[in-house]
Formats: sequence, structure tokens, C-alpha cells
Amino acid sequence: MPQFSLYEEEFHPSPWQRTWAAFRSSHIAMVGLVMLGCFVFFALFAPIITPYDATEQNIDGLLIPPSWTANGVISHLFGTDALGRDLFTRIIYGCRITLGTAFITVVLAMLVGVSLGTFAGMLRGVRSSIANHLLDALMAIPTLLIAIIIVAILGAGLLNSMWAITLALIPQFVHHTRSFVRAEMKKDYIVASKLDGANRWQLFVHSILPNMIETLVVQGTLALSIAVIDISALGFLNLGAQSPLPELGVILADGLDAAYLAPWNVAVPGTAIFLMVLSINIVGDGLRSALRKRVSH
Amino acid sequence: MIQILTRYCTLLVLTLLVLAVMSFSLAYLFPGDTLENLTGLVPENEAQREALERQFKLDSSVVLQFFYYLGNLLVGDWGYSFTSGLPLLEEVGIALPATIELATYAMLMALFVGIPLGYYAGIRCYSTTDHILNSASMTTYSFPVFWFALLLILVFSLQLDAAPLSGRISLLYDVPRVTGFILVDVLLSDLDNKSLAFKDALSHIALPTFAIGAITTASLIRITRRSVIDVKHRPYIAAAVSRGLSSWQIFTRHILRNALLPILPLMAIQITTLITNAMIVETLFSWPGIGNWLIQAIYQRDYPALRIGMMAVSTLVITLTILVDLFNRIIDPSREKYEHAAV
Amino acid sequence: MYMGVVKRLTVALCTALLIVSCAKQNKKAFYNTGIIYCSESNPVTFNPQLDTSSTTSDATSHQLYDRLLDFDPDSGRIVPSLASSWLVTNDGLTYAFQLRRDVKFHQTHYFTPTRNFNADDVIFSINRWRLPSHPYHSVSGGRYPYFESLGLAQNIASVERVNGYRVEITLHRRDSSFLANLATDFAVILSQEYATTLFEAGSPSKIDILPVGTGPFKFESYRKDRFIKYLRHEDYWRKSELRGDDNVASSAEDFDNRSNVDANWQDNVQLNGNISNDDVTNVQQLIFDITPRSSLRLAKLMTGECDATAFPAQTELEVIRARNDLTLAEKPGLNIGFWAFNTQRPPFDNPDVRRALAAAIDKNTLLEAVYFDSATRAKTLLPAASWAFQNDADDTAYNPVLARQLLANAGVKEGFSMTIWAMPVERAYNPNATKMAELIQRYLQDVGIEATIVSYDWATFRRHLQDGLHDSVLIGWSADNGDPDNFYRPLLSCGAIPSGTNRAMWCDEDYDRLLNEALKTDDIDERTAIYHQVNRLLYERLPLVPIAHAYRYQAYREELNGVVINPFGGVRFGGVEKTL
Repeated sequence: MPQFSLYEEEFHPSPWQRTWAAFRSSHIAMVGLVMLGCFVFFALFAPIITPYDATEQNIDGLLIPPSWTANGVISHLFGTDALGRDLFTRIIYGCRITLGTAFITVVLAMLVGVSLGTFAGMLRGVRSSIANHLLDALMAIPTLLIAIIIVAILGAGLLNSMWAITLALIPQFVHHTRSFVRAEMKKDYIVASKLDGANRWQLFVHSILPNMIETLVVQGTLALSIAVIDISALGFLNLGAQSPLPELGVILADGLDAAYLAPWNVAVPGTAIFLMVLSINIVGDGLRSALRKRVSH
Repeated sequence: MIQILTRYCTLLVLTLLVLAVMSFSLAYLFPGDTLENLTGLVPENEAQREALERQFKLDSSVVLQFFYYLGNLLVGDWGYSFTSGLPLLEEVGIALPATIELATYAMLMALFVGIPLGYYAGIRCYSTTDHILNSASMTTYSFPVFWFALLLILVFSLQLDAAPLSGRISLLYDVPRVTGFILVDVLLSDLDNKSLAFKDALSHIALPTFAIGAITTASLIRITRRSVIDVKHRPYIAAAVSRGLSSWQIFTRHILRNALLPILPLMAIQITTLITNAMIVETLFSWPGIGNWLIQAIYQRDYPALRIGMMAVSTLVITLTILVDLFNRIIDPSREKYEHAAV
Repeated sequence: MYMGVVKRLTVALCTALLIVSCAKQNKKAFYNTGIIYCSESNPVTFNPQLDTSSTTSDATSHQLYDRLLDFDPDSGRIVPSLASSWLVTNDGLTYAFQLRRDVKFHQTHYFTPTRNFNADDVIFSINRWRLPSHPYHSVSGGRYPYFESLGLAQNIASVERVNGYRVEITLHRRDSSFLANLATDFAVILSQEYATTLFEAGSPSKIDILPVGTGPFKFESYRKDRFIKYLRHEDYWRKSELRGDDNVASSAEDFDNRSNVDANWQDNVQLNGNISNDDVTNVQQLIFDITPRSSLRLAKLMTGECDATAFPAQTELEVIRARNDLTLAEKPGLNIGFWAFNTQRPPFDNPDVRRALAAAIDKNTLLEAVYFDSATRAKTLLPAASWAFQNDADDTAYNPVLARQLLANAGVKEGFSMTIWAMPVERAYNPNATKMAELIQRYLQDVGIEATIVSYDWATFRRHLQDGLHDSVLIGWSADNGDPDNFYRPLLSCGAIPSGTNRAMWCDEDYDRLLNEALKTDDIDERTAIYHQVNRLLYERLPLVPIAHAYRYQAYREELNGVVINPFGGVRFGGVEKTL
């Protein structure tokens, strides 16, 4: 009698689990994920973990050095700035504002971009060609320029800079989605669904979108790192977030005036932005490699 | 061939037209008086205002106004700046070549350093050297460009006193403006101490170029590396190996050109990022380029300058992008991206 | 394959390093022929008569022009400049100026002078702002703010040309600060020949845009927000070997040649040969590099891209002091930061209340916290730089007990609320009025007074102050010349209330009487004695609490020699040399 094993099951990991396994195998990607997790934690729980208020000025304690230097005090972990505001608090809130705004911008851009891209991808004909080319060309306008124009029309401020960056990120999503959709539309399973009688909307939601999500996530991380750099650049140039809002670029610009007396005012916010972008990039890179490994097997 | 050229020319003209429409509409969208935004002139009394309005066709329909505006643009009559009162053509003519010079040198640095390094990393993929290069480029790529420039200033200018941090050349030199590119102009001029001036200009251009170039180099390294790795895993490379070609032969005959192709479309995005970074870095180094000029204009709400500046920069970037696309199309007609109208 | 890459990289790196290091060595020789000064903003015009901002004066007054008289930067006394000597009648109404000979105007690419400086230029320069009917009066706007604020045009009865090198100015009323006013940055001498040429060519406003003067530098070019380029004036009249002596000789000559030796003439010739330092220079170019941000100015100073810089910020002073290759020159400035009470509003019309408030604050803490050691404690209105300074003047002391007592006696209840208006802008005399207001708020809390801090944007702020909407205000004053009248009159005299400079809205007959008396005499000791009386009066009545006199700073590299801080006017580069 053949032995049949009752307890062996076939384990088919879903695509997500496979991606996650591949991601986990890279140490660097995990480190990046942990860093990113820290930043997200700071962003979400900022009011709980910060000891002071972000705009509270302490006139007696100006330009206190960070706690690890000789003159620093532990009550101000990163020291204070020229108006006596605690730098640690400001950095935490800054992470919240920068990362939060960048995230919202990316989500908005993704929504608009994906819809436009799918629409353009499903179109055919001369219209689509013209629209595609025009969009490609307009994609080339630099983010800073769009931001300047929007600031000139609407005025400076965090909200207006968000519009600018959303506008700048949309073309990338459109481009990517369009080429993806166009490539998918030729594939057999789409043809099969069409023969089954699916209309365009159902095609999109049930067939194309699930396949697109992974590339979307990768695109999203790329866009997120660009958004973080752009938001802080606009804040630095005083075109986006305005002082005293504790956005990381604004904190950097504020610290520039006292840069010789108090270099930590410039070093700490800059390092924060750098680490944030680095972790996003590492995670994005890891995701991309994981995806590639999964697809190529 | 002619077909492709005409298509791209039409595209260029269409896009520029769209830009002109946007630039024209900005005169209405910007706060303040439309007439002043359009011309840059502030009429002193009613009579002057009416004369200007008649001249710029503001009393007739919007379409007529636009065509008049377009005519002015093509001729070179771009209006005057609010802050300096100089004609905008002159201002842009001084500022734009400065940015182009900076961007060109940064791009050259990226091309000549980034692509070879990318190839190297790709060939020796997953080795230690590759990991080092990959991490270095990832780290550099993640630097916010303004912080990177600040660090360069702090280390090289202030600590080591190795390079100056503002301007294109020391103000003591009076270099007549011929082409707008400072290095060329110094060589063309007849100053007494030309070599000294040239060295001075070089030292001024060193830090800004490095700040922008390093980041572009890092992205180029990553792109090239990815492309090389993709090519390496193609079946025809395996076939070549199995046929017994040496690695050098494989590299020169197959990898070199095939890996180069996918990079080109991505160059367009790199150019855009390069110009944005150049504009930001210009403010830090007081480099008198178009980025610095535009940012000063927005601080002082100089609307005519913003209108024309936006037009100038967009035209530059779009022309470059379309040229790169055209180049791409010509040397690689197999791409499916640029589909014709399939009716 | 990869060896090629590495080799390429090394070669590129080596060339770059070589270029950078070579650049430094050859620098010195050429770079000694030019001085680059980092200035903080654009000049409004190139004629300081038309504007009072210090940026315009700094850029033009001592570079392009000369005045009839100058202030000696060390002693504050009035010394000859374009006027080699002068006489005043006994009644103090007529001033006769003997003008210097062989003074050449600038020869530029837009003008070539055909004659030397003479009386016609003086008459033109003064009549331009004095006479509304003068053809040049309304050119470039027609506002001469400094002279208008003094009412000088009304006081001058006539300006007469006695001969080619002698001018007589007659006043209506005695004014012992008249000579000081002629030595300010604003009383520059323009070229009448240039003015006529421009007028005939139909472009008179160019006189203020393409300027011509007699100063050590001549105008070359100007790009807004970027730079101003000046070239050395080779025929500048001040030469190094002719220090005070030759100038004395020329005036002695004129003495003997004087035809009418009128017994009424009082000799007031200043033979003080302290005509600053050598005004000849090896410097061929002077460039103003316009850099609005002070941290960037400091950075350029440190790398050597600027040789001197304007207005270093408080936080940067320590850095400059710490470096060996930079010098921070400081001098007590001609300014005063004070806390003024609106004496037209009760209870601030009661001197006891004012004295109580003054005793409630500790001025030393304010000095430390707001000025970071860059100011001296002010006892009276006048700083140490003025010749009428009173070192032993009475001063209020920190005494909260006395404050409470006086307040109780005056009937001010516990919890009384008042406003402190803090100016929103930074000035040398008060770099952070908001911070000072917060500190004062805390002191007042200790004596039972609730203070609220009020501020608006600068233009609105000044407007509301003029309307007298404040209870008290933290503001200050920078003087234009070394004369004490320039402090006392605009700040507290009755006539200054409508013009808005009298923030305490104070009008006291005794005070005004004393001030006018002081103007009637020319004797320095007499005037000083009167001003001591004024100080005593102010101490008793206390319409404002003087807080600090801020220092004037100038930061420059060690390669510059001969830099002198001028507390009485703008920066001057005439005698500055640059060495290795």
C-alpha cells in the first residue's frame, strides 16, 4: 500500500509573501526598513514623544550645544536654536511635517496619475498620440519652476508647495501607468477577459490593477524620496513652508544664520533629511530587487 | 527620416506654443495689474496707460492680445523687469548662459565619470567593488542637494580655504561679455593677467559643478549599472560566453552599446533634475544664473521676470528633452514607445 | 579596462588640485590692487543729499565726494576738508569759508572737467536744496530729507560768492550746530560744471546716477543687487607727504592776503592737522559687493572674497574675534536705545510713576541678554563718542522696592495693565526689541504690573506711534553728526512732536529753553555745562529711560591698513591700503 502523508500540504506562497521573503533576505533593505519605520513612528506620535512645544521660545537658553558636547544639557538633546527652541522637538515635528506632506503628495499624485495614465493607455488613435507626446514634453518642466509659478500666483506656504510638487509628480505616474497598461492590454488574459464581456472599468479593476500594484509601490517609493527632497528644498528657499513652522528645510534655513557659532543647527536637520531619503531609497531599492527576483523565477 | 524629423519639429512647435499660452495667461493669473505684468512698465498717468493698452491690444479680444504677445516674443521684445528696470532680454541673456555653463560642466562630469563607473559596477556585479560603488552612489544620490552644497562650502571654502564660494569670477576682473560663458570669455578677452583670471574662474566654478555633478553622477552610475546587469542576463550574452568569446570581446561587442541604449530616455529626466539642482545650488553660491535670478524675482514679486524666466527655462529644458528623444529615436528605431497613430 | 578608468580619475583629480593650489599663490600680487567691501544693500541714489539711509551714505559720501568740513574720527572735532579755513562773526550769523585750491574733479568716461573746484561748486551744492526755485531743486525727486528736518533752508539767509575761493553764508538765527551740519555725510559738494553740461544736454537727473565729485574714488559702473565699481581718482587732493603742514601754510597765506581785517571777525580756524590718515592709496579699484545676508558676508570675509564687511550680526562677533586673520574694530556708536513713556497719557504724565517704572527694571540684564556685550549702559542720551558726554551723570538703579513704593504713593493699583510697544525691525541701538520687551514684562510682573507687548509691521508701527497710541515704546535713535543738539532736539523737544521723532510726546518749556540757549553760544565748555543741566532735568523728569549705546563694528581682513571706524558718518576707504 502506498504511504500517503496526511500532513504534508503544499505551500504556495502568494506573490506578496514571496516578495516579502526576498526583501527580508537583504540585510541592508531591512536596516532601511527599520530606519523608515522610525521616521514613520516619529511622524505619527510626534506630540507624545516630544518634551517641549515646537515653537516655544526659551530666552534664557539660546544656542545651547547638543547634549553630547561638553556644554550641552540632557534636557535639550540636540541643543537649541537662536530663539531658544528645542531642536530635538523641532526635528521630530519636522519629520512629521516633511514625511507626512510628502506622503500625501505622493498619494494624490498617484491617484490622479494612475487614472489619467490608464485612460490614456486605453485610448487609441491620433488623440492619444498627441496627448502622449505633449505630456511627455510637459513632464520636462522642472519642479522648482512649477513651484515658483504657483507661489507667485497663490502665495507661499506649505499647502501651495504641495500643489506644486503634486503637479510635478503626476507626469511620472501617468507615463509609467500608460506604458504598463498599454503593454498589458496586449496580453492574452486581457483578451480573454474582453471576450468574456468585461467592460473597460471591470478590466481595469479586476485584471490590470492587481498586476500594477507592485510596480506602483516601487514607483511610489521613488516618488516619495523625490517629494521629500523637493518639499525640504522649497522650505529651505522659503517658498514652501514658512518659519516658524518646523519643517526640516525651514529649520535648516533658520540655522544657517548662526552656522558658525552653532553648526549643529545646520548639521542635525540636514542629517535628518538625508537619513529619511536614504531609508526611503534603500527600501525602494530593496523592493525593486525583491520584485525582480520574484518575477525572474 | 524626414518623417521623424517633421514629427519632432511639429511636436516642438506645438509644445512651445502651449508654453507661450501658459506664459501669456500668467500675466492674468499673477496678482497685480495685468498691463504691468505684461509689459513690466508702470504707466505714470492715464494717457500713458491708454496708449500702452492700445499698443498691447488689451482693449480687444484675448486672442488678438495673444498673437501680439507672441509676435513680441519672437522679435525679442520681452518687456522690462520691475526690480531692475532693464529689458528682460538682456537679463535673461546674461543669466541663462551662466546656468547652461554650470549644467554643461556638471553633465560632462556625470557622463565621463558616472557612465564608466556604472559599467564597471555592472560588470563586476555583486562583488565587493560593486557593493562599495552601489552604496556610495546610493548615499550621494540621497543627499539633498542644498545640504550637500552647504557641506562643501563649510569644508572646502571655510575650513580648507581651497575654493571661493560666491560669484563666477573675482569682481576685480572686468571680463567683457561675449558668449556668456565665463571660461570662454576669459580666454577671448585681452586682459593683462589672463591666466590668473582663468584660474580664478576655474576655482569659482569648481564647487558648484561638483555639488550638482556628484548627484547626477550618482544617478547615472545607478542607471548604467542596472542597464548593464539587465544586458548581462540576456540570453545572447550567455550564448556569446558559450561560444567562447573573452570578457573583453563580450564587453566591446555586445554590452557596451546595448547597455547604452536604455540610458538615453532616462537622460531626459536627468536633465530636468540637473537644471532643478543647478537652480537651487546657484542661490547658495551666488552664481548669477537663471535659477538665482528667478528666485530673487519671486522674493521681490517681479512678475514680468517670472513670466519670461519660466518661458526661457521651460523652452531650454523641453528643447533639450526633445533633442534627446529625437537622437534616441534615430539611433534605435526598434523602440515601441513612440507609437504612431494606429487608427 | 578598469585601470583606464582609475587612471583617468587620478589624472583629473591631480589637475584639479594643481589648479586650485596654483591659483592661491599667484593671487596676492594682483589682488592687492583692489579692495572689495561687502555692503548690505543697494544705495538709493548716488547723491547723499537726497536720502538719509546709511547704505547710501556708506556707498557714496566718503568715496565719491568731499564736504567743506569733516569730523575727526578720534576726537570728534571739526576739521578742514574742502574749506581750508573759516571765520565766524561775533554775532555768529555770518560764516566765511576759504576754499582749498587745486582740487580736481573726477574725470570719467562720461565727463571731463575743465576747471578746478571753486566757489561756484559750493554755491550750486547748497542752493540746490536751499532754493525751491533753483533749476536743479526738483531734479530726482526734490526731497532733501536731512536738510528739511533741520529747517536749514529757512535759516540760511544768503550764500554769497566773495571771490573764486571764498564763500560767505549768512544765517537768520545763531546756530552753533551749523558747522557740524556742514560736516555730515549729506552736505557733499557737487560739480557745478557737470550740472550745467547735463542741464544743457537735457538729462539733469544723471547727476545723481552718474556722479562726479572730488572724492578719492570715481564712479565706474553699477549693477543693481550685484556690485558698485569705483576706480581710484589719481588727482585726489589729499596727498600723503603734505600732511597738516602745507594745508596750514595755504590758510596762513590767505590770512595775510585778507583785505578786510574786520575786528568783528572771530578767529575760529581749526589748525588741527588731524586730517585723518594718508588719503593716498595704492589701491586702483574699490568694489562694493552687495550681499544682503550677513552670514554670507561673514563667509566671504573668512574666505577672503571680501576685504571688509558691513554690519556684522551679533552672533558673528565672537567668530570674528576668534580668528587671527580678521580684525573686529569697535567704537562706541552715536546712538541710543531707550524705553520711552507716552507722557500725554495718565498715569505716565506723573514723573513718580515713570521713575518707579525705571527703577523696576535691571538695565544690566537687558544689556547682557539683548546686546550680548556689544553695547554700553546708557545713563543719559549722549554716548561717549560725543564731546558733550557726561561721565558722572545720575543714573537710575534697579530697586523694585522703591518702585513698588512709588507706585503705591502715586495711586497705581496692583495689577495695573500697560502696553509695551516693541519695534519689529533690527537696529544697532536695539537688535531685538521683542526680547527686551519680554524681559521688561517679567520685571514689571514682579512689581505688580501686567504688561502686554504690541507690535506691527514697521510702517504701521511708526504711523501708530506718531498718533500716540502707545503707553510705552522700545525704540532708539542714531545721530547724523557729532553735535549733541542732534540728540536732544529731535527726541524730546516740543517741535519734534509733529514730526514724529519725539516718542515720549513730551513738551517741557525748561528743556526747550535750555536747548536754545546751548545753540546760542559757540564755546564748547559753555555748551557742555548747559547739556549737563539738561541731563539733570531729564533725570528728574524721566520721560524716557536710556538703556544702551550700541557699539559700531567694522570687520576687515588683516591685509587692510588704515581702516578707521568713523562714528560720525559712513565708511571711508580713502586712506586704506592693502598689503600682503
